[in-house]
Amino acid sequence: MADVDVKVEITGSVWKIVTKVGDTVEEDDEIMILESMKMEIPVLAPEDGTIKEILVQEGDSVVEDQTVAKLEN
Amino acid sequence: MAFDDKIKDHEARRAKAMAMGGPEKIEKRNNAGVLNARTRVEYLLDGGSFRESGLFGTSYIKEMREQTPTDGKVCGFGDIEGRPVGVVAYDFTVKGSSSSYTNNRKMSHIKDMGAKRGFPVVFLSESTGIRMPDVMGEGMGLTNEGNRFWRKRESPWASALMGYAFGSAAWHACSSDFNVMRKGSVMAVASPRMVSKALNREVTGEELGGWKTHAEHSGFADAVADSDEEALDLIKQFLSYLPSNQNEEPPVKPVPPGSDEGGEKILELMPESLAKTYDVRKIIKAFIDKDSFFEIKARYARSLTTGLARLDGRTVGLIANNPQFKGGVMDADGCCKATSFIVMCDSYNIPLIFLQDQPGFLIGPEAEQNGVIGKIINWMNALLQVSMPRISLILRKSYGRGFINMGAGGIAEEVAAWWTADVSFMDPRSAVTIVHGVEEKDDPEKFNQLVDDMRDRGGSAYDLAAVYGVKEVIDPRETRAYLIAMLKYHRSRLTGGVGQHLLSCWPTSYV
Repeated sequence: MADVDVKVEITGSVWKIVTKVGDTVEEDDEIMILESMKMEIPVLAPEDGTIKEILVQEGDSVVEDQTVAKLEN
Repeated sequence: MAFDDKIKDHEARRAKAMAMGGPEKIEKRNNAGVLNARTRVEYLLDGGSFRESGLFGTSYIKEMREQTPTDGKVCGFGDIEGRPVGVVAYDFTVKGSSSSYTNNRKMSHIKDMGAKRGFPVVFLSESTGIRMPDVMGEGMGLTNEGNRFWRKRESPWASALMGYAFGSAAWHACSSDFNVMRKGSVMAVASPRMVSKALNREVTGEELGGWKTHAEHSGFADAVADSDEEALDLIKQFLSYLPSNQNEEPPVKPVPPGSDEGGEKILELMPESLAKTYDVRKIIKAFIDKDSFFEIKARYARSLTTGLARLDGRTVGLIANNPQFKGGVMDADGCCKATSFIVMCDSYNIPLIFLQDQPGFLIGPEAEQNGVIGKIINWMNALLQVSMPRISLILRKSYGRGFINMGAGGIAEEVAAWWTADVSFMDPRSAVTIVHGVEEKDDPEKFNQLVDDMRDRGGSAYDLAAVYGVKEVIDPRETRAYLIAMLKYHRSRLTGGVGQHLLSCWPTSYV
């Protein structure tokens, strides 16, 4: 099974992680929510898969293109 | 019977030309679930309408004639939903549909006639590029470049990439008004083999120029399909929104039942908190004619949504900030996407509707390296040359330069706002930090007082309306009725709905 990187598209901070390792997600499901530009911006699953790793914690700063989770599909 | 031998000879020659690269190659494609040039033409066009041009063309090199039926491109005329089109179908079973003297002449004829007589041209593409060794030596002297890539948008071009697409297939895809890429196709300047050799490492087709590269990064794939049939369906769908040529209005279609019933849904879809995001495509689907949204470049620059739709049966072009992705922030790629969509719509007499909900342009060194400044102004340059009606509707926030690029500030003929609109040079909460040097975490009471002071300067829909900065403030549920009314009064009656086409020579691959 291939690993898929879940990357953030915008610099911000991790506000809420709404999934956990082992969860099954479909493409465009919310994995976590960032705070940026005074908005709660969802980080969406790029493909169907199972959450293999979550690489950040709530409160962490993240930058554009950073991998914040890995999916298995 | 008189002329019996002539009749039989003609039939034999015809059968040979129609057989393409031979039964083995055709069967291989059948087994792979891939159509061939002739079955693609058959699927695309109305039954029985295809009139082939250049059936008996072959390589100009006499010794190669037998091996090059139709010289590897099936060209001609036909109908799609009763409307004439020209078609160029690359026949990969004949020398990889490589380009050469005869087939280029055939292709040029179809393109020239599409422009001269006012019908769309469809490219069903799959090609290894230019034919070698034909093009070597004297072959270069026979090259007939002419006006091949002088794109004046007299009539629409639509392209489907269904396999390897090098050379002519790639050039025409990037010059087309709509290009769909079937998964598994590769579009690049040079083949993976050549690139691997040059870079001294293995480069696969997918990495070099697969659908993800072009749908998500270059933006040259306006849509992606899983099969040949789906790609051809998307071509037909795209053309159904457009006129046959720039001197016609787009066709008017019946309004599906239930199209007026989406208004209430808008309030359910919109979050009350300005901090929460939503997918603007769901809002769009709530107010347009039912099932009429045809998204363009869905996977590219996603914080800006572009797509064709119908309102009261008439085609419109929608450009909408999409908070679902990156909070709707405007960026360099979004500028390119907006500009190319504006050019396409205006060139084919399609009114533009802007939906604003954006926090401003993305800033920072990477944005500058991506040339965002120049791209912002390219967008303005194009927008100002639009002669079709422009309507701008402010849904929620709209800050800074983006407010103007999205049609406000005297650009669009009609600007209105939902009662949730909040317009300013920048988000008041950021402005307080910049102007007063106060951070919320350090002194929340003072910070919030200063935010209120900033807001008192007025940026609500009603503040804008007071100075006629917006001409109407509407309930979101009225969006459909508002837009249909504006489109009715702003139809270009003096010219029969046809614009001035000042953008028709704009570059096809925006920079």
